[in-house]
Amino acid sequence: MKAAIEFRKVWYWYEDSIPALRDVNFAVEEGDWVAIVGQNGSGKTTLAKHCNGLLKPKRGRVLIYGEDTNERRVEELARTVGYVFQNPDHQIFCPTTLEEVSFGLRNLGFSREEIEGRAWEALRAFGLEGYASKPPAILGYGLRRKVAVAAVYAMRPRIMILDEPDLGLDWGATKRLLENLNRLHEEGHTIVLITHNMKIAAGFSQKVLVLHDGEVLTYGPTRGVFKEIELLEEAALSPPQITRLSRRMIPCGMRGDSLTVEEFCEEYSRLVVRAKRASSLPR
Amino acid sequence: MIRTMDLSFDLYLERRSWLHSLDPRVKLLFVALSLSTLLLFNSLPVMACFLLAFHLILLSARIPWSRIGWIWSKMWPLTLLIFFLWPLFYPQGERVLLEFWRIRVTSAGLIQGLAMALRVNALAFAFFVLLLSTDQAKLVRGLVKLGLPFEWGLTLAIALRYLPLLYGAYTAVSEAQRARGWMVAKGSLYVRLKSYVPVLVALIITALRMMDNLSMALAARGFQPGAKRTYFRELKLGNADKVCLFALIVLFSALLTARFRCSFGA
Repeated sequence: MKAAIEFRKVWYWYEDSIPALRDVNFAVEEGDWVAIVGQNGSGKTTLAKHCNGLLKPKRGRVLIYGEDTNERRVEELARTVGYVFQNPDHQIFCPTTLEEVSFGLRNLGFSREEIEGRAWEALRAFGLEGYASKPPAILGYGLRRKVAVAAVYAMRPRIMILDEPDLGLDWGATKRLLENLNRLHEEGHTIVLITHNMKIAAGFSQKVLVLHDGEVLTYGPTRGVFKEIELLEEAALSPPQITRLSRRMIPCGMRGDSLTVEEFCEEYSRLVVRAKRASSLPR
Repeated sequence: MIRTMDLSFDLYLERRSWLHSLDPRVKLLFVALSLSTLLLFNSLPVMACFLLAFHLILLSARIPWSRIGWIWSKMWPLTLLIFFLWPLFYPQGERVLLEFWRIRVTSAGLIQGLAMALRVNALAFAFFVLLLSTDQAKLVRGLVKLGLPFEWGLTLAIALRYLPLLYGAYTAVSEAQRARGWMVAKGSLYVRLKSYVPVLVALIITALRMMDNLSMALAARGFQPGAKRTYFRELKLGNADKVCLFALIVLFSALLTARFRCSFGA
């Protein structure tokens, strides 16, 4: 099976600058949910922009479902790869939210009925129906972010890349956004999420890719990556608090790899039940 | 990796040199005097001498050849255009090199064309002497010290500061729209311009937001137009500035005398 995204020995540097990506190799399988983490300036956005052809590798190849991005234009790749930028204001321009969400669909040449259906579905998914006829530019930041995500969501790309979608959103809004993404993921879409929020990476993604100075420090299943404390520290990252707490409790019998509060509670309850049983046994 | 701006809109090159350490007002006067002198002279040797002098000034200020070459690479299309067009509109002269229909190309026309092309380059280089050796903040301080109202100076400084940011925003906006399948339409100029609406509107909204944030940031830091101000960095003319100022005035007077008394370089 062809990987959804494949980086083969990719190097990239901006003009007059040291390499932003160095010998990057990894593959994202169809239906994966991958979180890309790393410090500011580690190359996360540069890497993501290679996935939809906004940047072309200086050396190496980037393949999207086996097709080289060097041979495809961004507008063509937009059918397969949706990209939500960090700043929603960089894409909002339409007089109404409904038109804003329909823009990408019109570019892709969908029929009028299909555009309307998909746009309303996206608005509903993000709770934006009430704002359909309002100008998106005057909405608050959180709502503008939702509009930006909904606009890409409506295009239903097989791969969806989101650059720090939680930026400037409260936890409630972030959670709802992630739940929507989860729904897309369950339908078989591939999700790539750039984030600084380890809680999101741990709680939602199946795999984590750690970037440091343009190099892939480690890439693999989330639980495994968050066990590599030393490697994460090298990239000035730290696992979520709950994982760290669970590690501290290894001497008490915890496995030490809980990624979420729910996992931790479940394991801790088991531990307590086991301890109770042990103490109630006749000596 | 922090992306370096493709277009910085700032020509300044940081160096430790006599030219860099000069007061910006002296360099502004240098530009003003150079422009007026260049417009007074017409002769080819004078233009060549000016150009040579500007090159020597730049080199003495440790401006690398690569940067001088960059200026020439930007200037050569205009240079060639003037050099070839001027003789077509300057038919005076005895020695005719080419004549057909109503066009008469003479050797005097060619020489004059070359002189004019060099004059445009010399005018540009006079500005480059200033821009390559003076950072924007210092330049604005110089202008304010020369009498430009502080608010205008601040506006100029902000405009210069925000040009790269706006260019960055333009790049980001067009990338964001392309990622949604937008592309420049094919067809007439009107159709192509109209297809830019998604980029231009988003860019204007971004710029307005930037402006709004900036005005609030200025107000939050106590900025009041017309208020009495004190300055952290005061410009003062040093000895080197005074020597250069004196040399400039002497040289300019000498050139004026040579031009009008002795008809030199006419």
